[in-house]
Amino acid sequence: MDNRVTFENVSFLRNGTRVLGPLDLSLTERRIGIVGRNGSGKSTFVRLACGLLAPDRGEIRVNGEDIYSDRAAALDHIGIIFQNPDHQIIFPTVEEEIAFGLQQKGQNKTTAHLNARVFLRQNGRGHWAGRPTQALSQGERHYLCLMAVLAMGPRVLLLDEPYAGLDIPSSMQLHRALDALDQQVILVSHDLNVLEGYDRVLWIEGGEVVEDGPPKTVLRKYRTEMQRKGEHDAGLNASA
Amino acid sequence: MERNLTFIALFAALIAALGLLPKFTLMSGIPITAQTLGIMLCGTILGARRGALAVVLFLALVAVGLPLLAGGRGGLGVFTTPWAGFLFGFPAAAYVTGLVVEKWRNGNLTLIAGVASLIGGVGVLYAVAIPYYMVGADKGLLEATITMLPFVPGDLIKAVLAGVVTQAIWKARPEAVLSRG
Amino acid sequence: MLALTLPRRTWAHDIQAGWKLGALAIASALLFPVDDLWVLSAALLAVVALHLVSGLDVLRYALWMMKPIVFFAAIIGVYHLATWDVAAGAAIVLRMLLLVALANFVTMTTALDSMIAVIEWLLRPLRRLGVNTHAIGLAIAMVIRFTPALVQKGAALIESWRARSAKRPGWRITIPVCLLALDDAEHVSEALRARGGLTTRNRT
Repeated sequence: MDNRVTFENVSFLRNGTRVLGPLDLSLTERRIGIVGRNGSGKSTFVRLACGLLAPDRGEIRVNGEDIYSDRAAALDHIGIIFQNPDHQIIFPTVEEEIAFGLQQKGQNKTTAHLNARVFLRQNGRGHWAGRPTQALSQGERHYLCLMAVLAMGPRVLLLDEPYAGLDIPSSMQLHRALDALDQQVILVSHDLNVLEGYDRVLWIEGGEVVEDGPPKTVLRKYRTEMQRKGEHDAGLNASA
Repeated sequence: MERNLTFIALFAALIAALGLLPKFTLMSGIPITAQTLGIMLCGTILGARRGALAVVLFLALVAVGLPLLAGGRGGLGVFTTPWAGFLFGFPAAAYVTGLVVEKWRNGNLTLIAGVASLIGGVGVLYAVAIPYYMVGADKGLLEATITMLPFVPGDLIKAVLAGVVTQAIWKARPEAVLSRG
Repeated sequence: MLALTLPRRTWAHDIQAGWKLGALAIASALLFPVDDLWVLSAALLAVVALHLVSGLDVLRYALWMMKPIVFFAAIIGVYHLATWDVAAGAAIVLRMLLLVALANFVTMTTALDSMIAVIEWLLRPLRRLGVNTHAIGLAIAMVIRFTPALVQKGAALIESWRARSAKRPGWRITIPVCLLALDDAEHVSEALRARGGLTTRNRT
């Protein structure tokens, strides 16, 4: 499966100031990592990439589709998983949560619920179907969010810091699950070890891509810079 | 579109949550529930139409059997008492409250929201609840009003609080105050 | 969040929600104008029998659900005693208990899903007027999903308050609870849009 996420001369403004861009990118690698400090523009980047935000200048396409205007096509091509499961889980039970995405893609209620149960079984979680989402553990909730989007079959998967707050076993399980995916995965993460096996890493700083290349190079530079920043005092100012 | 829907749903949940939290005491030591405060806030923050929809959604779920009324009450039974006029009056209360906040633009929001809550959350609410009670309990106007009187001071205070809370929310999340959007 | 349905199935559970609601509506309409104490008492006995036939636990459950209403019934009763209008007071109280008991019986013998299905069925004609009934189903699910979460977070806030104060929180706690609800609303609306939002249905 070949996928391509393109950013063509993209800029994004907030209150008249440019907070991201100009970006010119062609993301085709199977596993792409994104690093950067909080407030660097990563979250904006990710929301632009999946069509939740429209660029103020330039064009963004996923496999040729305008994912901001054509939301229906967007669902076929790109899915996003946010940091906090509690901000994404909409339904009281697991089955409903998964069936929802299927209904969004056009299946009727009965078919969607049937397929949701099948999907759960295929993922070894058939017994989760009737479980209240409230009763799931942190790690299980993260996994549910992943399944809810995967069930919709997007070709590209965007994840915005999915490992935040997970304990080591849950983190490893999630990592294994992502590893096994056929989709193109674009992962924003503070957990740099995870990105070492990836094909390409982008470092976003101050709304721009300051480094872009193989993980070995980019992560080394990133670690050095973060270390340097950490060793200096002066609060949490991003411009330090 | 989605934002309207989630705000309406979350406010319906908020009305329920405010009723299910342990009762808090007012300055005077009277324990009251915050639920009617929630109805007023639906109006002051969401505006007339969305506020009323949130309240209707809330009532629908109470009717359907969820224990969302203060004290964990719910079901169809609560709609059959002479006091059900309060329940039926809730959406109108939220609507009028919201209307006042939407139309009255110039001035201090605490005052506006407070007055709006008085007009809608107390005035309109009792204007529905009292006649309903008169029919249901077969009482005259005077008797009905006397029966309702003990609840009024608490509701008046809640109207004032609604003003203060609305202002506080406006300061913290102005973009979320849809009535002023 | 648990609904007020009985924890076990009774014969009444097997009757369709629509029929039960219809029967309730008719019974309420018939009872509303009745003032005769004998008729009302007989009706009340019939309702008690209805509960007993379903099981002693059903009667106990009904009495539990009735508890808050007793307070209101007492208000009416006391008033009428004070004005020596006992017969009229008794009629009002009996009628109220009857209507509440019948309505609660339907509530306790009908599953939440069945009730929601009735609502969706009632709203179907509105679809022709352009009302998005799918959105309503979504809204219902969201309220059910978020009420317990808000209560939990509110309780955590209260705990945090009490850890730093000698007094219990007053009305001020409503502000952070409201902010929590608003933040949740923003996030969920984003998550909803990320999965197609409200407008991509009925594509195929």
